[in-house]
Amino acid sequence: MRGTTRTVAMLAGITSVALLAAACGGGDSSDDTSSSAAGKTGGAVTVRGCNPQNPLVPGNTNETCGGNVLDAISAKLVHYNPETAAPENDIADKIETPDNQNFTVTLKKGYKFQDGTEVKAKNFVDAWNWVAAGENAALGSYFFDPIEGYAETQCTGTGDDPCAGAGKAKTNKLSGLAVKDDYTFTIKTKEKVSNLPVRLGYTAFAPVPDSFFNDPKAFGEKPIGAGPYKFDSWTKNTEIKISKFADYSGKFGGKLDNITFKIYQDDDAAYNDVIANQLDVIDTIPSSALIDDKYKTDLPDRNLSKAVGVIQAINFPPAKTDPNYSDVKLRQAISMAIDRPTIVKQIFNGTREPATGWVSPVVDGYKANACGESCVFDPAKAKAKLDEAGGFKGGKMTISYNADASHKAWVEATCNSIKTSLGVDCVATPVVDFATFRSQITERKMKGMFRAGWQMDYPSIENFLAPLYGTGAGSNDSDYSSAQFDQLLKEAAAAKDGAAANAKYQEAEGVLASDMASIPMWYSTAQFGWSNKVTNVKVTAFGTIDFSALALK
Amino acid sequence: MYKYILRRLLQMIPVLLGSTFIIFAMVFALPGDPTAGMCGERPCAPAFVAKFRLEHNLDDPLPTQYAKYMVNVAQGDLGTNFRGIKVADELKTRYPTTAKLAGMAIIFETIIGVFAGVLAGIRKGRFVDNLVLVSTLFVIAIPIFVIGATLQYYLGVRWKIFPVTVSPEATFYELLLPAFVLGSGSIAYVARLTRTNLVENLRADYVRTAVAKGLTRRRAIGLHTLRNSLIPVVTFIGADFGGLLGGAIVTERIFNIQGVGGYTFSSLHNHDGVAVVGTVTVLVLVFLLANLLVDLLYGVLDPRITHD
Repeated sequence: MRGTTRTVAMLAGITSVALLAAACGGGDSSDDTSSSAAGKTGGAVTVRGCNPQNPLVPGNTNETCGGNVLDAISAKLVHYNPETAAPENDIADKIETPDNQNFTVTLKKGYKFQDGTEVKAKNFVDAWNWVAAGENAALGSYFFDPIEGYAETQCTGTGDDPCAGAGKAKTNKLSGLAVKDDYTFTIKTKEKVSNLPVRLGYTAFAPVPDSFFNDPKAFGEKPIGAGPYKFDSWTKNTEIKISKFADYSGKFGGKLDNITFKIYQDDDAAYNDVIANQLDVIDTIPSSALIDDKYKTDLPDRNLSKAVGVIQAINFPPAKTDPNYSDVKLRQAISMAIDRPTIVKQIFNGTREPATGWVSPVVDGYKANACGESCVFDPAKAKAKLDEAGGFKGGKMTISYNADASHKAWVEATCNSIKTSLGVDCVATPVVDFATFRSQITERKMKGMFRAGWQMDYPSIENFLAPLYGTGAGSNDSDYSSAQFDQLLKEAAAAKDGAAANAKYQEAEGVLASDMASIPMWYSTAQFGWSNKVTNVKVTAFGTIDFSALALK
Repeated sequence: MYKYILRRLLQMIPVLLGSTFIIFAMVFALPGDPTAGMCGERPCAPAFVAKFRLEHNLDDPLPTQYAKYMVNVAQGDLGTNFRGIKVADELKTRYPTTAKLAGMAIIFETIIGVFAGVLAGIRKGRFVDNLVLVSTLFVIAIPIFVIGATLQYYLGVRWKIFPVTVSPEATFYELLLPAFVLGSGSIAYVARLTRTNLVENLRADYVRTAVAKGLTRRRAIGLHTLRNSLIPVVTFIGADFGGLLGGAIVTERIFNIQGVGGYTFSSLHNHDGVAVVGTVTVLVLVFLLANLLVDLLYGVLDPRITHD
């Protein structure tokens, strides 16, 4: 998952990596998702940036500030279509598999890194091995977990340094990767993974040139990719400049010659610069301008709102930590007691879309109303379900949230809605900051319900199910476990084609509904604004600027 | 005099040591694990956490962490922050910007504040006096972010007289508006302090004597009364400079100035002890030096005060 620093609260804005869709605004999804004219070729623009939290190494960047820059300068095997989020081959000529477990990747010839060397199969295999290996402690390591031999590359020690002494990993090479020739390599996965090609467009899968391995630290200061733009300079805390890469041979090149990411501490400052035409594109609108759609009058015909792959939910505590929420009927009662449309309208100015399931509508495989009547506000039915469940035995309910982003208002509104409908006291409980909030959750000390947000890594229905609800999965904070759900995921991963896989995944989502694994709240939208100099502003399903379309008027 | 300065400088050493330790201990005592929020809704890989903790000495007990830090500081190394950037490099780019901003704010508050205070003081009870009284009350009553955002909107966005935000170069012209906003609250205080003291001193015996022996009003006020009245004002401005350096967070955010305030805030938020201690230690040093300067200025303004 990729965190985003996009938060709205004035001072919380400059927080840690974090929260997921912490409080991005929303908007009217009926708006146009692009402006009309295609614009001219060449020229320079300045877009809003934020401070990368880590050195700019593709496998070691897990937040949008660094990710946006890396995505512009690197090419991957596949590229996500900005409109539909569907994967299209980029460096890959073809990715073939007879069984969803043994993949053969053939590269297109002629792709060049910005240091002049050609992109070859070994650049992928070496890069992936480096990111996966425990000794390098890269943040994107877990993306390689499905590949055979991943466990052997991880350090096993405990204590201060798991990689010291006997804990050292057996190897730093993934046994599932093999170079066949300069333009072919094979991937073998531990189990069947039908959507592997979809995943390969994520930043962590970008190839790196040989020069990376001589000095990863220097690379992190001035990264090299094979993408349409090359990295020019990075003035810390101030700006990052990239420019058109002349030798780019792919088909996703941009029109602009120069792009500057200007780093802002505060969304309001960036917003004011856009109104005054001193900044060209802003990928988040501050909450002050969302009220009554103020941004639409401030930036007439210079704004858009688009659904992005982010879902917000309320999680139940693991039964071991707090057994009071285990009853499915009680869970359904709570979900039915929440008046999502009213909260969206009053708290978010209509910039969210009430959720009807666990999967974002932007991905392939989305099915509406997976949650059914459990996600429809109905106080009478909710009360009846609560009575069936025998009432709530924990005294009062709590919903915890991190207080360093603007969650207070909606959590309180949600609690009020539950209180009014069910007659059970509900308290919105702040936790000082995101780090503390996450500590309590990972250590399984968080009692009561808590908020959760998920931004997709790659556009697949699977990304909204397996990492969150699979038994023992990395982000399964509620310790949800269902043999049936796990089995369906397995079957989906082995499915022959995309449609068959999606059908199985949708079935798995149905299991979540019957168990009420968590309470889906709403899907997010991203709001963009731009100056009077640029045109053809498009937003990807990830909520980022589509640099292949952006142009000067 | 020089003995006095030397003594004061030596006194700074224990103060600095003590304050760094207190700040270090306070950041150390903050709840929450700095690595917990780094990987979003997913716990970070153990290998990453281990490497991170090792690199930043997070597993050592407080005294060891502090000792390691101080040994490095003694060798001129302020450490690296959690993002792998040298704290010294950050401070080198951020302090000049903030100092420029705070310095300009001080100039604004001194010139405008003293001028308004003198006007009000010598025309006590008249229209100018009431105007200064009411307008300063007005400024003091409005929070700085309202003043900042309003002026930015009208002067920057609407009328385009000033740039909306400050560029990395932070030129003099770009900083004019932010510096005025930052100094606005202090202008009001300086004006009021000057006025009150001037009015009081105008009634003093020595002023009556000066006027009686035939000094012009301009000379009596400008040379004798004003000089004596400025002592509390100088004290205020001295303390204010340190306050403006560290307290410019709001102004820096509104105008996107990459200064010290925002850095301290975000470092604190990330539990980035090394960064906070480095920044605040420099702030403490500036405070101490500013106070020393103020004490020395007393002697210049009022010859009766000596430091021998």
